[in-house]
Amino acid sequence: MDRPAGVFDVRYEQDMAVVRTGPQWATLIGFLILLAVLPLFAGSYFLSFMILTGIALIAVLGLNILTGYAGQISLGHQAFVAVGAYTTAVLMDSFHWNFWATVPMAGIAAAGVGVLFGLPSFRLKMLYLTMSTLAAQFIIMAFFNHAFPDYFHSVSGIRVNRPELWGIDFRENEAFYYVVIVIAVLMTFFAKNLVRSRSGRAFVAIRDNDLAGEVIGINVARYKLYAFAIGCFYAGIAGSLWATYFRNVNPPHFHIDVSIWYLGCLIVGGMGTTVGAVFGVLFLRIIKELVTFISPILSGMVSPIDAPKIAPGLAVISWTSVVVLFLIFEPRGLAHTWEVLKSRFRHWPFKYSI
Amino acid sequence: MVSFLQFITGGLFLGGMYTLIALGIVTIYKSTRVFNLSQGWMVTLGAFMLVTLVKWFGPVPGVIAGLAFGALLGLAVDRLLMRPLIGQPLIAAFLLTIMLAYIFEGINILVWGSFSYEMPLKLPGHPIRLGEVVLGHSLLWGIGVAILAFAAFSLFYWRTLMGRVMRATAEDHQTAQSLGLPVKGVFSLSWVLAGMLSIIGGLFLGVVSGVNMLMYQSLLGAIAVVLLGGLDSIAGAIVGGMILGLIQSLVTGYLSPSLADVIPYIILLGILIIKPYGLFGLVRIERL
Repeated sequence: MDRPAGVFDVRYEQDMAVVRTGPQWATLIGFLILLAVLPLFAGSYFLSFMILTGIALIAVLGLNILTGYAGQISLGHQAFVAVGAYTTAVLMDSFHWNFWATVPMAGIAAAGVGVLFGLPSFRLKMLYLTMSTLAAQFIIMAFFNHAFPDYFHSVSGIRVNRPELWGIDFRENEAFYYVVIVIAVLMTFFAKNLVRSRSGRAFVAIRDNDLAGEVIGINVARYKLYAFAIGCFYAGIAGSLWATYFRNVNPPHFHIDVSIWYLGCLIVGGMGTTVGAVFGVLFLRIIKELVTFISPILSGMVSPIDAPKIAPGLAVISWTSVVVLFLIFEPRGLAHTWEVLKSRFRHWPFKYSI
Repeated sequence: MVSFLQFITGGLFLGGMYTLIALGIVTIYKSTRVFNLSQGWMVTLGAFMLVTLVKWFGPVPGVIAGLAFGALLGLAVDRLLMRPLIGQPLIAAFLLTIMLAYIFEGINILVWGSFSYEMPLKLPGHPIRLGEVVLGHSLLWGIGVAILAFAAFSLFYWRTLMGRVMRATAEDHQTAQSLGLPVKGVFSLSWVLAGMLSIIGGLFLGVVSGVNMLMYQSLLGAIAVVLLGGLDSIAGAIVGGMILGLIQSLVTGYLSPSLADVIPYIILLGILIIKPYGLFGLVRIERL
């Protein structure tokens, strides 16, 4: 932990604080105020960008706890998002629940399914566990595709209405933005705190060496299940918001590509850091928007036969190449780059020291 | 009874294709310990490439050019992407192959678009008639080639010097390096072999069912084969492939086609829970 010269911790509370110095408080509060007033001057395009980023951030934070901290790589995270989305949609559509009651239910349902598919982690490690989460992705999505057509309406999709609270109508994106951002900020805060707690340290111990963790008295099986439960709880909340944002729940939304995209966000941002999840999601979201902006221009430059290939091709190649470059040249992700930058700034004109 | 025989043949053909993909994955895994998830995508890319090459050069030179392309593809992946990751955690290389799969998919879309193509190639022979049953000769070719590939790989691994070098490398990289074996060369060779296998798989799959973008969706099921047979077992690749192909074909025929897509993953989850190292896989004891 690197701090400006002259800042010392004299009490335990200071040593444990997340926000340590005055300037940090100032930037944090300034950032929150900026988030709060954003809808006043941002266009609808930027608002929907922020909402989608917020939803993806919640999902990636969950994946970060599961994969980044506890080391259980999941290739099926979007399926757990789907569990959350379907919980909200079915409860609102078939049982006429209130939206606000379905959000925690979506998280709990996803956590339950996550624990179920986390059970193989008792025996399996690394590659083998990854394969079982891949199986989870396909089995869960096949379930939503084929089981209970009366509830899941896999052909037409389930329509979801946006909620209302205290006279505020959340059908407008300006209002819905606040729902997503408030939940995202709370979840980020919770994730940041969780990893400093006893459970968080147990997760890191399991990730670094599970046998050694077991030897020093960590109940590995239980903490693996905790990691699955918490990670998938995040996914469920994200799914609930996803369903209400798109107002329609359809199996193609929850393709494995998105699961891989979440993993890509984590790699780009840096596994095992909360700030990395934020950086990674923002970075890959911006690349996605850039591609949708550039590809019509590129399509205009090639022959009409080739034009329709550009957009879908670039959409896939762009972010995966970025992830590959990060894996080769900066495996610790943007979070590490950020630390290096800060350290350089502090030690200038000397060389950085990370 | 008639349809049963046809399901069996179809299943064996599918199993043969699974075997070809699984052989590629196993070859890479055995020597480099990297699980190549993009093998199915390499098969698809190979099939598209074959369509173009056969159109340009005619059947036989086209297929030879395709094999050269597969070898180059494997070599390029190893030298450009895998070599810099030596020394990193293995899981990084695994994640890279996932991303690689999507890069292949993007290249496919950019170059060939999302259309279906016919493989402009006929396999010699004609359908065999057994009473009322008509067996497509392309299917039999596919099964035969899969068995041939299995036999060739077994011979290569157990009878040739290079095969012994590869098995030694598979045992332990550091020991192999200190004994003077060309470990990096073995890595490259296994990627080249996997690339050529993917071209062969793409050829037969393309002839039978056409070349389209949906291929890798079904080919992802091959990872279930690899885990069923054991990650480092050549025999496991063919046994697992045939078992999965038969089950999938019979389920499609008798129960419901919608169930068939999930079958590989249900088997995958089952085998992982019951016997994680697969039927013939080597059980590694973990040490601190």
